[in-house]
Formats: sequence, C-alpha cells, structure tokens
Amino acid sequence: MSGDMVITMGEGTCGIAAGAPEVTKILKERFPEATFKAVGCIGMCHLEVMVEIESGGKSWLWGNVNKKNLPKIVRFHRGQGDLPEAMLIRSTDNTETERSQYLTRQTRIALRNVGELNPTSMEQFRARGGYSAFENIIKGGMTPEQVIEEVRVSSIRGRGGAGFPTAVKWGFARSAQGEPKYLVCNGDEGDPGAFMDRSLLEGDPHSVVEGMLIAAYAIGASKGYAYIRAEYPLALKHFAIALDDARQAGFLGHDILGSNFSFDIKIKEGAGAFVCGEETALLASIEGQRGMPRIRPPFPAIQGVFGKPTIINNVETLANIPWILKNGGAAYARIGTEKSRGTKVFALAGAVKRGGLVEVPMGMTIRQLLEEIGGGSASGRPLKAVQLGGPSGGCIPESLFDTIIDYDAINATGAIMGSGGMVVTDTKSCMVDLARFFLEFTQIESCGKCTFCRIGTLRMKELLTKICDGSGTLEDIDTLEELAQRVKDASLCGLGQTAPNPVLTTLKYFRDEYIAHVTEKRCPGGVCKGLITHTILQDKCTGCSICDRYCPVNAITGELKKPNTWVIDQKICINCGMCVEVCNPDAILAA
Amino acid sequence: MSKASLEATVDPEKVQGWITKIGSDSSAAVPLLQAIQSEYGYLPRKAMNLVLEGTEINASQLFGVATFYAQFRLDPVGRHMIKVCHGTACHVQGADRLNTSLRHALGIDDPKEDTAANGSYTIENVACIGCCSLAPVMLIDGEAFPNLKGADAQRHLVKHAKTKGEVLPGHTGDGDDQTDAKEK
Repeated sequence: MSGDMVITMGEGTCGIAAGAPEVTKILKERFPEATFKAVGCIGMCHLEVMVEIESGGKSWLWGNVNKKNLPKIVRFHRGQGDLPEAMLIRSTDNTETERSQYLTRQTRIALRNVGELNPTSMEQFRARGGYSAFENIIKGGMTPEQVIEEVRVSSIRGRGGAGFPTAVKWGFARSAQGEPKYLVCNGDEGDPGAFMDRSLLEGDPHSVVEGMLIAAYAIGASKGYAYIRAEYPLALKHFAIALDDARQAGFLGHDILGSNFSFDIKIKEGAGAFVCGEETALLASIEGQRGMPRIRPPFPAIQGVFGKPTIINNVETLANIPWILKNGGAAYARIGTEKSRGTKVFALAGAVKRGGLVEVPMGMTIRQLLEEIGGGSASGRPLKAVQLGGPSGGCIPESLFDTIIDYDAINATGAIMGSGGMVVTDTKSCMVDLARFFLEFTQIESCGKCTFCRIGTLRMKELLTKICDGSGTLEDIDTLEELAQRVKDASLCGLGQTAPNPVLTTLKYFRDEYIAHVTEKRCPGGVCKGLITHTILQDKCTGCSICDRYCPVNAITGELKKPNTWVIDQKICINCGMCVEVCNPDAILAA
Repeated sequence: MSKASLEATVDPEKVQGWITKIGSDSSAAVPLLQAIQSEYGYLPRKAMNLVLEGTEINASQLFGVATFYAQFRLDPVGRHMIKVCHGTACHVQGADRLNTSLRHALGIDDPKEDTAANGSYTIENVACIGCCSLAPVMLIDGEAFPNLKGADAQRHLVKHAKTKGEVLPGHTGDGDDQTDAKEK
C-alpha cells in the first residue's frame, strides 16, 4: 500500500510544539520511499500532530499522532493492521468523522491555502493560482481606481479589529499627495488569545505578499513594510523566503511584469509592544522611535511613515484581497450579513473541545461556532462566557450566545469583533479574575502618554486585585465603574479607549460575581487565591506524599503511606493549586 | 553567583558589522537593539555605547527605545531562557502554576528576581506566543512544550537541566519521574 506515498505533515508552530518533528523523523525512517511535504497549520490545533498520508489514490488524515500510537498507523499503511479509527479525522474511504466537521462547517477564503501547501514553495503557491489575481490586474490593464472599486463592491472591512472599510482607506491614500507612498502590513498581532496572523504568515505568506502588491498598486505605493512580531520566528522565516522568491520571480522590484509599477517590501520585526497595534504607534516604531500614538488628523493615509502617505492593513485583510480580485467583489459580498460581508477568522481557545483556527461566514451565531465547530465544553461543565477581541474586547455571556457574528451585533453586546481572539470559559472560571488579567495587561502595555490610561488603568487594576483578594468593598465596584468610563472617554488612542471594556462587560453581565467577592468573600468560580482554601479529603488520601513533594512552600506534612496524617498548614499555603494538579486520587479540595 | 559574572564580553567588530548591515540612521534603532540582544540575550552597556558612537542615534532615543519595548532587557540573563506564555488562554488554563513550579525548582524566592542564583536559567513571562489551543505553553531555549500542568513544567525543566549539565538550585518534586504525577 506504500507505493507512490505522499506524507503531508502539519508543521506550523502549533504542530511543531505538539511534537511534529519527532513524528516526521520516525515516519521518514519507516517510509523511506515516501515523499514528504510540510504544510502550515490547517487550524485543527486540538488534533496536532496531524499527518495526511496519500497512497494508491486514497488519502487518510490522522490526528493526535505521537510516537506511541504511530506504529498503529505504520502497520495500517503497510497492510498489516486494522484501521486505527481513534486517530482518523477523515479519509477518502470512510468519508467524514465527527472530527472532520470542524473543517466542513467552515468557509475558507483567507485561510484557503493554509495547511494545503508548503508555505516555502513558490511552485505550489503558483499551482493553486497564486499571483494570478495580481497578474490579471497588470496584464488586463486594470487601473488602480478599478481595483479600489472591486474592493469597494466586496464591502470588506479591516480585519484587524476596528472594521474600517478597506476601499475607503485606499481611496484616501490614492488621492493623497506625496512621494513615495508606503504600504504597511500589520503583522504585530498583540492580542493575547489571537493567532490568525501567525498562521497566515507562516502557512501562506505569498497570499499576504500578493495582497500587499495589489494594495500597493491600488494606492500607488512604491515601498512596503511588513511589521511582524518577533515572537513568531517561523512566520518571519517563511515570510522572508516568500519575499526572496517573489523578488526572483519578478513580482517585487522595478517595473514589475514589464509594467511601470515598482514595489518592494522590507520586514520590520516588532519588539513587543501591544500599543503598536495602534497605527500611529506602529509608524513611530518603524521610524525607530518609542511606539507612542499621536493625535489624528493628520491620518496616516495623508501623513504616515516618514511623513509620507501610508496605508496600514492587517494580515487577514490582505490575505482576502487576492481572492476578492480573482472572484470579484460581488462574490465576496454575497457572503455574510448586510453590514458585515465575507468571512472572519477566529482563534478559538479555552474551555472548548476543539480549539484552533476557524473561518466562518459572518452571520453565524456564536453558539453555532462554539458548539457545532468548537464541539462545546471540553470539561463537561456548562460554558459560561466567551471573551472576544482580547484586551480591547469584552465578555459575552452564555445567555447572548445566539448573537450573530457581525460587527454591529457584537458591538451591541459591549464586546468587539477585534482581530478575532475567542477565549471560551466554563463555570470553573472567575470573571473578576479575567477582568483583572486584562487590566494588568493593558496597564503594562499603556505607553503612558495619556494620564487616564497610564494612571487610570493602574488604579483599576489595583481595585480589581483588591476585590480578587477578598478585601474589596461595594464602593470599590462603583469607583471601578466610574473610572472605567473616564479612562474610555479621556484616552487618545484605541488602547486606552478600549482597556475598560473587559471591566465594563463583566460588570454588566457578571455583577453578581463581583458582589459575591466583596460581600460574601467568596469566589464562585473557585479561582481567586485570596478567597479559596485547600484541604485534604481524608477519605480519599492514600498518603503517597506527591503533594508534599510538589508543594512550593512546604505547607503539607504527613507520614508516608499513612493517609490520615496528611494536612495542609493554612498559614503557609499560598493556594497555588500545585497539590490539586498532582494528586492522583483527587483528594484535595479547593473551595 | 553575582549578576556581574553573567555580563557578556562585547566584540566591537560585531557591533560595527550590524551597524554596517542594518544602517546608522535613527530608524535603525530597533533592529540594531534586536541584533545585539539576539547575540547576548540582553543589551550590554558597552554594545549600546558602541551604537551611540557609530550611528546618528542619540542616547535619549536609544535608551528610550530599549526601555519602552517589552522585548528588550538591560540585565544579563541566565545560560538558558524559559519563556512562559501568559496569553489569555494560558492564563485561564493555569499558566501561573507553571511559574510557581519553575521558580520552586530554580530556587528563585524573590518575586523581583527572574534568574536562578547559579546563572543557569532565566524565567520570562511573555504576552502570547500564539499557540493558544495548546495552552498553557512554555519555551525552553526556543523549544515549545504544550498542554502543561505545573508539575509537567518542572519535569521538562529537570530533563533539560540533565541534558545540559545544569544544576537546579531549588527543590523539585522528583520531577524526572514521568510516571509519578497525575494524568488527567
């Protein structure tokens, strides 16, 4: 069965983290005759390591592969063993499994190539129609205005978070005076909980390059920057390879494809500042300055990097552009809702069974996304909320899960679409702790220019910490709410204006949890360290001592193999939860 | 071991090489600092001074940039870097316990300290490395370890230390015994 075998390995960052290199090494030893192909993450991160094996005109996609279960797959493909169904995602024989619904429920436009091609192969990209949208523009004599019109017809809005209509932005830059004009790709995805840009840049970099080329042509830019997070080394590597290959193939440089259009792209590595997601801060960073935002106007489209007209588009927006030009703006506009057209990529993580990247048409409900694609709760406990849009976003409670995915419908809940980070929580989570987590993040990331953002977020974090520690009062909740509103109103840029969103939405939907913390000194989710205690359940304890060995503060004492002797000294215990993690018979209660 | 003993020896020719390659105007500030840090793990004062001498960048801009961005550090680091992801997904899945467990194994009691006293490992918290579906995640010298519990983090550290010949100055819960801890 192994003749003409092609083995495709998911080698995105998540695949590598889950152990793909080790699996590849073993497969290469077992199937030396096979051809190996490395592709980016196809989005099913929960099933990494993933391997697709094609042989004899058939194919099998395997998930959760590791060195222990690999022999079963090897035996099957050698015709010496049964089909290991537990690992099968889909096959040409056995059509679909429950696991493959993850992919069949999606509409993949931005992610059309991710996981399907080797991201470092220009040949494979060209074979899937890559660069043909751009070639059609140049060879077909399409004017920049016609390109902008096609994008206008598609009604695509910026996928970086704010949702500004892309064609309008391009139109401003097209008519702006000043040379040279710049096009910047914002690949500095700073939202904790979002990883769609990483996946696109490392899994399909040429589509982003092609999107940049089309955008540059439309606005008349001759210089481009790709501002990519330094924390994404594989994305940086693959993007650099794509640039070299595109340059060699004549898609970047002078007089591209014999036209008068010249354009080239430089990579700038981000240096770890969330505020650089704000476009004026990002421009300052490219110029070698501290990434501090400035007042707009003038807008970057008029006066951007080095004082020249500049457009900044997000990675996902740019990845959609070649598809729009190839299939027509109208085809894109047919997908989605009245005011939010097309698809949106979400990074699904947290308490769901099937986490990863999903691309769905606008208009699907949050519940459909979480249950039909995400598979519902991973723990069996009921889902409680979804945190959407990262630190700039908010928490949507389970009672609003029938909200449709649409910029306006999401905004009406108090959250935002943002770049698409979706972190799901179940009942064993604390909304006050989550708000504190985000405030800690934004307080550290505030550039410090505006007093309300610099000091206001710090005070908000202090109040939240006080509530989590069990020393908060009802007045603190009122002060927190008032301060949140003021920080929102008095900050210059998006960071400060949205930093209070996690607080405001949790106060709106989960105020009872705040009240339980301050009046009953109780954390309903059992998370806040100051409000829980750890005790050993004597009837379950076996006296194995593992809790003692892992306790970082030596709070646990007892005699080996004598269950009834084990106790936790509450004066020493820091409620870190290490003992709960390691206890085999579940003999430690945190409440 | 004092911090001074971790100070790197700076090669002026290397710094000059980066200036020649990257540029000497003010927009080169961030990439120059990135080149220095990727070589030494932090920004040695001597290398910073060489940049000031060899470029148009002034001290206010260079130090302003170095202290503004989270990526840069002015203190020496241990021989190995542990980066613990504290993105939202990692946070809700218990990333804090990774720090507790690692600090315990490295004997780092002072909350302001991030490097083991023997200079072996430095723990750094990072905002999000984009492996949210495999949370919580940490990196040791760039190698990623997914789906961790606190005890797993310690076990990986113990294993790493063994292969690198490093001594862990703190206490481990028999961290190298894979069969010992709970499997959920």
